[in-house]
Amino acid sequence: MTHRLMDMFALTEKGAKGLVKATLLSTLSNITLFLPVALSLLTVKVLLEQPESFQACLGQLCLACLVAVALIYIVAWFQYPSLYINTYEESTERRLRLAEKLRKLPLSFFSRHELSTLTNALCSDTADLDQMFSHYIPQMAASAISTLVVALMMFIYDWRMAIAALWAVPLAILCPILGKRVQDRCGRANISAKLAVAAHIQQTLENVVEIRAFQLEEDDDKAFRKKADRQVRCEIGSELASGIFVSSGFIMLKFAMASCLIVGVTLYAAGSLPLIDFIGFAFASVLVYTPIESLLQNIAATFNTKLRIGRIKAILDEPVQGGQAFFKPSGHDIDFEDVSFSYSAGRTALSHFSMNAKEGEVTALVGPSGSGKSTATRLVSRFWDPDAGRIRIGGVDISSVEPEALLADISTVFQDVTLMNGTILENIRLGRSGASDEEVLKAARLACCDDFALALPDGYDTVLSENGSSLSGGERQRISIARAILKNAPIILLDEATASLDTENESRIQAALSSLLKGRTVLVVAHRLRTVMAADHIVVLKEGRKVEEGTGESLMASQGLFSQMAERQLKSSRWRM
Amino acid sequence: MEKEQRSLARLLGWSGRWKGLTLFGVSLAFISAALALMPYIFVYLCVDEILSGSEGGASKWGWAALWTAVANTVCYISALMCTHIAAFHTARNIRIMALDHVRKLPLGWFMTHSTGQVRKTIDYNSSLTEDVLAHKLADTAASVLTPIVAIVLLFVFSPLMGLACLATMALSILAMASMMGGAHKGFYMRYQKELEKMSSEAVEYVRLIPVLKTFNQTVMSFKAFWKTIKDNGDAALEYALSCRKGQTAFLTLINSTFALLIPIALVLAGDGDVMGTLSSFIFYSIFAPACGSLMYRLMYASESVMKLTLAVDSISSLLEVGQMEEGAITDTGDGTLAFSHVSFSYPGREGKAVDDLSFTLEKGKLTALVGPSGGGKSTIALLAGRFWDVDSGCVTLGGHDVRTLSHATLMDSLSIVFQNPRLFECTLYENVALARRNASREEVIRALSLAQCDDIIARLPEGLDTRITDAGCQLSGGERQRIALARAILKDSPIVILDEATAWADADNEVLIQKAIGQLTKGRTVLTIAHRLSSIVDADRILVVEHGRIVQDGDFRSLSVEEGLFRTMWKDYNEAAQWRLNSKEEA
Repeated sequence: MTHRLMDMFALTEKGAKGLVKATLLSTLSNITLFLPVALSLLTVKVLLEQPESFQACLGQLCLACLVAVALIYIVAWFQYPSLYINTYEESTERRLRLAEKLRKLPLSFFSRHELSTLTNALCSDTADLDQMFSHYIPQMAASAISTLVVALMMFIYDWRMAIAALWAVPLAILCPILGKRVQDRCGRANISAKLAVAAHIQQTLENVVEIRAFQLEEDDDKAFRKKADRQVRCEIGSELASGIFVSSGFIMLKFAMASCLIVGVTLYAAGSLPLIDFIGFAFASVLVYTPIESLLQNIAATFNTKLRIGRIKAILDEPVQGGQAFFKPSGHDIDFEDVSFSYSAGRTALSHFSMNAKEGEVTALVGPSGSGKSTATRLVSRFWDPDAGRIRIGGVDISSVEPEALLADISTVFQDVTLMNGTILENIRLGRSGASDEEVLKAARLACCDDFALALPDGYDTVLSENGSSLSGGERQRISIARAILKNAPIILLDEATASLDTENESRIQAALSSLLKGRTVLVVAHRLRTVMAADHIVVLKEGRKVEEGTGESLMASQGLFSQMAERQLKSSRWRM
Repeated sequence: MEKEQRSLARLLGWSGRWKGLTLFGVSLAFISAALALMPYIFVYLCVDEILSGSEGGASKWGWAALWTAVANTVCYISALMCTHIAAFHTARNIRIMALDHVRKLPLGWFMTHSTGQVRKTIDYNSSLTEDVLAHKLADTAASVLTPIVAIVLLFVFSPLMGLACLATMALSILAMASMMGGAHKGFYMRYQKELEKMSSEAVEYVRLIPVLKTFNQTVMSFKAFWKTIKDNGDAALEYALSCRKGQTAFLTLINSTFALLIPIALVLAGDGDVMGTLSSFIFYSIFAPACGSLMYRLMYASESVMKLTLAVDSISSLLEVGQMEEGAITDTGDGTLAFSHVSFSYPGREGKAVDDLSFTLEKGKLTALVGPSGGGKSTIALLAGRFWDVDSGCVTLGGHDVRTLSHATLMDSLSIVFQNPRLFECTLYENVALARRNASREEVIRALSLAQCDDIIARLPEGLDTRITDAGCQLSGGERQRIALARAILKDSPIVILDEATAWADADNEVLIQKAIGQLTKGRTVLTIAHRLSSIVDADRILVVEHGRIVQDGDFRSLSVEEGLFRTMWKDYNEAAQWRLNSKEEA
């Protein structure tokens, strides 16, 4: 049972046991609330049958009342923490598990999932689950149990009245459950209409220049109105559906209450039901209806729990990239052995690709877009693992090494740069966490960061925020290069386009890169062929396969794909408007 | 309170004709609140009849109880349906109105406002208003009326018992209130703060994992985040436990009315009217818990309407942004575009982006703008396309100030081709055809051909009639650029404003894009922002722009011999062009 709960709700063993305890105490609390009813009934009995001894009973009943109040208080006192302590401890545990799991996931995971989905799982999904576990679930389970107890007692007492009081209860609970399918359908239509409206707004905002330039305002308005109207229709439909099902549930309960009264009156008039029993049932039915009403109101909230738990479990169940925690290659040459890789069915990025990048040399990957050159560098950093074949660095198969250990020997300079909310100095120090200020500043200087950093009022202590949005593309790139210089790793993976992000400072960035590349094993993805003409080794890819390789000279001489591309690029670089 | 009332009034104004439905719904909610407690009275009457011996009369009260209960439910659900329908229509009105307004804003405004932010203002905020209109109004009606009715009823049958019920309810409210003030408020505030802190740290944590992984530092960031999570859990628990006394007291008190009713009933019965006392006792025993749970629910319904004010204010400030005004003149004279002593600063930024600038765009010629970034060349192109209105001086077309021309006239005269063109979610054909109404199919095909797009048409599954999805993601940047050029060619306007950076969107497409640009600029007046100096060597006129001023004006030959910024830029450009990637020491 504990294990089923653990699985269903993504709880730890302690959490599942705590949930059971909370449910039991809530049930006990519900049962203590039977006492007022029992004592009231006793009072009615006294009033009906023993009019003489009121005073005598007064003392005893008062005492009983005080004991009952005390019991209610005491049980509630212990039930409260059982709800909250367990929930919050479990919640903390869940968040820690998620956070720990997230940092171990492969890099490709983060490009496949939106940041907001992941932070939601960490924060709002877990917060909503807290609500579930501290408010809804134990109480709902307790209501169900205590209602069954009352129902049982009713049946034992007088089955006719029991039926009269309870016939509608299962139907009332069935209403929202039956309605769920209809609600789900309406809900889906609703969501799709809502997304269509949001997408249209987004498109209008992004395309506003075109809309204005081509005078499409009216057309756009007409199209938008259609979508907005559809959204209203779906919302009304959804509301109507849920309204009808929930209110049917409530109306069922009212009918049950009435039937209890009417059947009771009839039986009493016919003499087959003592008055005291009739009143007893009237009181008892309140014990049933109130929890069922709150159950009906809360049931919709619990439908979403499954979705949230699903999102959390998806992260927890995601496979991590394994491997040894140390990386001891003999040398730093990079070897691709018959590597194949596809992003998804039908999108083959690399096909039986083999090549060798020698230690200390510059190896360039060139080819038309979509040829697989960027994919190759990503595989080297274990962003993904190949579907077939092997990649070795210094003779070691990299899939046997934990990514973080592997990356200790690799620096990447790609177009995307992530900056943290901190000073420029701290952002560069990321390259090697124990580095001294002098070492950081030296790396920064070599990366030509002095130009822009020293011009700022706080210099290198300027605080960056929002992923360094106050810096230009070229400035961010130089920070990335500084990090790489500081890291001093033997292997560099480089995207050559980074040099031309900022036309103003192109030459400066080029100088920074030259500084970085001295004496290391470099694998560079090149777009402008002339920049890699002097590389030690050039590999030409097309549609995921290697088609040519050699030096710049030999490739130009062989008049193949490389020389064709080079000539085209030369022509376009000479273009005049 | 006053602010909220004003926000509500403005919101109802936006409801238009649906305002009536909202008011109708609220009245239904009032009626339902009045009906809510009636069934209990009928139950009392039913029991009373039984106890006084006339069973026949009792059943009719039973039915009365049922029908009022059903009527109450139906009334309440109808009330909610009305307010919901009105709320949905109001939100729709707001979205349409806001988007309509936004379409007419100065194009430059969009550069300083992220689409995400604006979309949130329009979409998310209108949804927020739904909550208040759909739920809060009706619930407020109930929460005002129900306690009044309840209290009145309490005293109808037995004032003493009624007083007992009132006493326990008052005490339970006190217990609730005790949780709101002082030390508890402190715990609550701390809990909220920790929650916010954790939320923003979570975003940072997840965002940085990829980069930290490459530097082997995820453990350290995890340790920092670990502490935040623990603090959050501790604050939550502390807050919850601080409410223990209050909550437990509240729960007990709400359910303890019986402890007072029972002694009172016994004492009263001892005085005489046993049956009367019994009826009353039964009534109050059933009524009191019902009142209790009602109070409980009403407590949670009274959340602040602060969200409403924020939402309404946000939408209002969007609607207050000034739209671009247009004039009525439709005559473009000789069609020459000219700047006359134009000065302009970007809103919110210091310093002039363009400072007392004057020049005339010569007809049929290619004029290039070059200069350091931030120097003003992009701004000049934006002002020429009337993305912003100038602060002083004027931009004229055919002698008329562009602000006095009609939008249509101005837009017909210009074609603007910048980086990152946007496509619409319709077919390729429609995406190009929208450039000129009443263009024939042949004209569209010819424009695409001149823009070197034949290979794109060939490779798409349904050719021209393929639907472009996801804003053109199945097309590469270079392909989208060529389609944008096709539009401009089809539009066939006399003046073209071009950002030359478009030419190198995609290394593979470069040659084709350059050919397309060549087709577009043939025989037209062109103003281009140049980035690669080699491309504008043959321009008819080069304007060097720095610090918002034209510092040099001439053609390539004259500027390359002149001492000045152009010569320096040219030298830099050539140096960069010579760079080679090499891991050995530079010779």
